[in-house]
Amino acid sequence: MTQPTHLTRRFFLQTSAAGAALGAVGGPALAAGATAVNFQLSWLHSVQFGGSYLAARNGYWSDLGLDVSLSQGGPNAPVEPPVVSGAALVGISAADYTASAVSQGAPFKIIAVAMQKNPFAIASLSKNPVNTPKDLLGKRIGMAVANTPVLQALCTLNDIDINEIEIVPTQYDPAPLVSGQVDCLLSWETDLPVAMTVQGVENTTMLMADYGYALHSQTYIATEDALANRRADLVALLKGEVMGWNDYVADTDAAAALAVDMFPDAGLNLEAQKLQAARQVPLMFTDLTDAHGFGWFTDETIAANVETLALLGQDVSPDLWDRSLLEEVHG
Amino acid sequence: MIWFVRVLGICLFLVAWEFAARGVPGSVLIAGPSEIAEHIQSEFALYTRAAFATSVNAGLGFVFGNLAAIVLAVIMIVVPKSARLLSAFALLLFCIPLIASGPILRVLFGPGEGPQITLAALAVYYTTLLALLVGLRAVSQNWTDFMAVYGRHPLSTLRYVRARASLPYLFVGLQISAPASFLGAMIGEFTGAERGLGVLTLRAMRGLETEATWALAIISASIAMMAYALLGLLGRRLVGYTPVILLSAPQGQPTQNLWMRVAEMAFIVGAVLAIWQISMDVSGLNRFFAKRPGDVFVFLAESENLATVLSALSETLGSALPGYLAGLGLGAALAAALILAPSLGQVALPVAVALRAVPIITTAPLLVLAFGRGIVGTTVVVAVMIFFPTLVACGQGLRQTPGQIVELFRSYGASKWQTLIKAQLPAMLPAFFASARMAVPAALLAVTTVEWLATGQGLGMLMAMTASTSNYNMLWSCVAVIALAASAIYACVAMIERRILRVYASEQLS
Repeated sequence: MTQPTHLTRRFFLQTSAAGAALGAVGGPALAAGATAVNFQLSWLHSVQFGGSYLAARNGYWSDLGLDVSLSQGGPNAPVEPPVVSGAALVGISAADYTASAVSQGAPFKIIAVAMQKNPFAIASLSKNPVNTPKDLLGKRIGMAVANTPVLQALCTLNDIDINEIEIVPTQYDPAPLVSGQVDCLLSWETDLPVAMTVQGVENTTMLMADYGYALHSQTYIATEDALANRRADLVALLKGEVMGWNDYVADTDAAAALAVDMFPDAGLNLEAQKLQAARQVPLMFTDLTDAHGFGWFTDETIAANVETLALLGQDVSPDLWDRSLLEEVHG
Repeated sequence: MIWFVRVLGICLFLVAWEFAARGVPGSVLIAGPSEIAEHIQSEFALYTRAAFATSVNAGLGFVFGNLAAIVLAVIMIVVPKSARLLSAFALLLFCIPLIASGPILRVLFGPGEGPQITLAALAVYYTTLLALLVGLRAVSQNWTDFMAVYGRHPLSTLRYVRARASLPYLFVGLQISAPASFLGAMIGEFTGAERGLGVLTLRAMRGLETEATWALAIISASIAMMAYALLGLLGRRLVGYTPVILLSAPQGQPTQNLWMRVAEMAFIVGAVLAIWQISMDVSGLNRFFAKRPGDVFVFLAESENLATVLSALSETLGSALPGYLAGLGLGAALAAALILAPSLGQVALPVAVALRAVPIITTAPLLVLAFGRGIVGTTVVVAVMIFFPTLVACGQGLRQTPGQIVELFRSYGASKWQTLIKAQLPAMLPAFFASARMAVPAALLAVTTVEWLATGQGLGMLMAMTASTSNYNMLWSCVAVIALAASAIYACVAMIERRILRVYASEQLS
């Protein structure tokens, strides 16, 4: 299923000049009568969604009869409302966010998982590093107070006392760390640390997934109604995604270049995008996906997620996940 | 000579800035002028497109928001019985924070510019409305009585008497709107817009691209300053006269029927709840994120939830109060200082406009670094966010002093200081109290932003949690509580205002 790299590149070079104009994303050759589908991303455009851009640019969705628009997220653009109201068919969420929304009455299912390993990490400066959870003791950590349960879960998993860590409320930004207001940050592996590296700030990250924090992220969610009534569209959308992400892993630099090219108004930095693209590969592509394909999950990974969610204070049933669409896609 | 001094001043300022950027600890937060200039040059095309996109949305929001304010003000003056109800609606709508309105607007409008324009309009209508109402009432009661005696319709009074008096205040509203609409359009981009200065600001801050963050702040501030200056110029050209103001005699204590007041209040509350419910039902907004009054009642009926919200409210009110008072005091004091030393305005006004046009996510980290995360830092950030409208409105109030009185003071050889205290400050009172009222919801929203970004307390923190928990019941309960608190404080301020203006500007009470 993987596209040969040269083909992807050539395709990209051919279309990049013509397609550079607008942020609105349609395939290069829209089939007449294609079904319009809105796909709600979880954050601003960047190579974080590189596989989706490749699916759009390479025409995978239009070949499958879909006209997909990629709506970007933002600080005040939560994913759940457009998906629950039907304004978007599929959204990118995370297992904990989805579980909360379901407990508030949203009829969501997780239908595929892009990030097998949770991207949350503790970022620190290399001269004062946090390499293991024990190193957190006595340190000041900058984070949104809303994320306290995440830190609490990490502490419980590694048997350390959260009261010995000083939580400093900060906005999501590397500046408090670099300016010495805090010793470490709770951040994603793939954004703030990348920014620091690109700006020449030597930093260290400790991936929480390596210390027991098993939680699916960048998960695809859809409503039960969509699963029942728009199954074919969902399968087609996921098929395009899988093809796009297979292209992505074959050449992450090309994906980064495509992101910069497709969104000239987003202010993306090519170097940072390349680094981010490479760094999210180990989170998304594991032995599990090598064996079963992109987006896959098993009863075992679900069980591990349910355990982590219990630590976060959420009582979740394995029914939250529904693998039937992926089985059709990969079948 | 003056030009020389000015240029020298600017040069010294730039040199000091450059040194600060290079030398001060924590300078990762500060970019120097040379880096910023270089950066703007290298990204010129990108910034031009973004500035254009944001400016167009801000401009449209400015027009719609101010038109709405003018229409509302006219209705409230011509049909005085509608005034309380409309002013309650205007206040409550202004109290809805972006975190609650953002998803609704995005679902209603879909992709595109709708939310940005709406949020820009929402950012301006309230201040213009309150300023314009002061202007429309700034006429001598003799004149309105005169028109009434001749049996003229209130619309004629509006056209021949009030409109002329209100123009200077309308321009005050428009000038306050200039940076506010720009900021509204920028934060409107946080709801998922594809392009604009707000989108780039987010990216730059997370990317640790300090020079880009500063470049964006400077571009936003410059555009807002230009709009502010242009409106000021337009105002002076179009108004071109100082409205004649005859003093009105102090009024006696009006007779108040307690039961009528209670009935009116109940009617307003009922109307607000009905409109809340009906507008959401008619738009077909999903109950998952667009909570109705009933959802909030049920949620708050559980004592645990109520206790959480009330304790957060007390934290929020506690941190809002010092900032509210400081912002009001600073705005009024600076307006008075500008009367004594007008040249101060060349420094103070651009800074004031800039602080109002740059998003708080850009300014807050610097202010927090300088003043800490405690009560001082919170107070400073809140004060910074509310003092600008006070400054502009009070400035107009001071200029509103009747000419005959100033001349009388002058002919008796009174000093500038004596004139200020005895003549100009009393004339400023209507504008000051309008500012005190408009600052109530603004201060509450400001403090919830600080709580989210820097202190992790209070209602701001509870509302921010919604992003990960989807607890929209909690969010809308917080919104309801903020709106209630704002209404209560507003009513207190209005009560003090009536007591004082009864003596100093009784025409405002009509």
